Amino acid sequence: MIKIPIRVMIVDDEEDFVEMLSLRLEEVGERMTKAYNGMQCLNLLEEKDHDVVILDIKMPGMDGIETLREIKKRFPLVEVIMLTGHGTTETAVEGMKLGAYDYLMKPADFEELQEKLHGARQKKEEQEERIRKAEARLLLRKSGDI
Amino acid sequence: MDEIRLLLVDDEISFLNPIAKRLKKRGYIAELATSGEEALSALEKRAADVVVLDVKMPGMNGIETLQQIKSKYPDTEVILLTGQASTQDGVEGIKSGAFDYLTKPIELEHLIGKIRQAYDKILHKEEKRKEAEFRSRLEQQMIATERLASLGTLATGVAHEINNPLAIIKESAGYMALLLTKKEMADFSHRKQFELAIGKIETAIERARRITHKLLGFVKKNESVFSEVNLRELIDETVQLVYREAANKDIEIVHNTGDQPFVIRSDPYQLRQVLINLLTNAIHATGSMGNITLSLEAANGMVVLTVKDTGVGIPRENLEKIFEPFFSTKSPGQGTGLGLFVTHNIIKKLGGTIDVESTVGKGTTFKIRLPEYYEMKPGISETDQENWFAKLKMNL
Repeated sequence: MIKIPIRVMIVDDEEDFVEMLSLRLEEVGERMTKAYNGMQCLNLLEEKDHDVVILDIKMPGMDGIETLREIKKRFPLVEVIMLTGHGTTETAVEGMKLGAYDYLMKPADFEELQEKLHGARQKKEEQEERIRKAEARLLLRKSGDI
Repeated sequence: MDEIRLLLVDDEISFLNPIAKRLKKRGYIAELATSGEEALSALEKRAADVVVLDVKMPGMNGIETLQQIKSKYPDTEVILLTGQASTQDGVEGIKSGAFDYLTKPIELEHLIGKIRQAYDKILHKEEKRKEAEFRSRLEQQMIATERLASLGTLATGVAHEINNPLAIIKESAGYMALLLTKKEMADFSHRKQFELAIGKIETAIERARRITHKLLGFVKKNESVFSEVNLRELIDETVQLVYREAANKDIEIVHNTGDQPFVIRSDPYQLRQVLINLLTNAIHATGSMGNITLSLEAANGMVVLTVKDTGVGIPRENLEKIFEPFFSTKSPGQGTGLGLFVTHNIIKKLGGTIDVESTVGKGTTFKIRLPEYYEMKPGISETDQENWFAKLKMNL
């Protein structure tokens, strides 16, 4: 079976972390975009479609929660996995209430991260599928009217 | 009446005997000595509260005896007896530390009054000393608590900061491991060694991660879920979790918890973590064929849970440190040194106290006192339960 790469964006101010995780995920076949702050993340999302954003909660400037709000407002279908180095799950939970798919504690387990990435992508695809069907029904109804 | 230990000293036995007899009638038992030297050796055998001492004696005189008594037994009070013509001696004596002086011939009432006054002074001093001792103990306790708190803050701060570089190391090692599995690497002659080294890095990361997560685990603010907890059931359930480990060492876990349900309002998950920590410690400390006894008692609004083992015990010098973060006697990698630190913090948060008693070679007893009813600010629930289970898995 041919693997369809997940289009992942990783957002973290720890550049080394971003670099290594991207290399590793690319190695298992995902397509990676790197961003080092919230602003850059939003700009890159604007430029290109993505499936999942891995988002660090604690960042200087625009923090993870703020970035998440913006993502969900402007790109509601993009799924977000929060990364917390905090150990404070409250923020992660708040993130999930704002629409994040799930969260992981740093340092995260790679297998777990992959599972969550696939879960997130699947959720997004199902949603897109429903939208396509709804659109089709809409189209059908419209043409039926004629 | 208090038993006042009394010593009468005079070279004239004809003076001593009648006074001793009259004192005895009034309930005061006195020992007798007929010289300064005799008085000192009597005190050596049996300490006295009050010494009634004649100033004018052959050999060692009264003032000299007084000075010796005061230097050896500063808590003993001395009443001097002086002749009418030599009240100057009495004044001299007070300067050397006598309680007071009486002029011969003495009236019994007078003497008894003075003895009582001297004894009251001793009692008062004793009371003050106890008070000062109590205060200093309290201060020490406060210092210890504060130190624990600041150590905790520091430790969690470090944990936060360590997590990020740890994540980088982990991703880097994971990436290398991934590359090694590639086809081109099949002929790489040092592949085995690389795999070994990367494996070591990964184990070490896991160890560090366990520590940081455990540390961060209890800084969360509103994490407690309060409900009715049946302590007896909680104990039974928790023992099930460690039962195998105990059985492997032939350790018997004795339930001294009666048939009554002990229901308190508290946080069952945190309490279970406390129990697991204490039980695992007990199992590690106890040799084969030993036993661990769990008991429950209720006492004025508090429930007392005791975990007693017949293990190796904790040396006195370690007893103060066991609740500090990172204090561990296990070899590196075996224990994080956080179990009792976390335990102590949980119990404190649940409004209780934890005490430890230990004898090296005999065993250790942990006593937890918890209020039957304790309310905390309401907090989030499910995620913390999940966390707790994650922690539990880690601990096992």
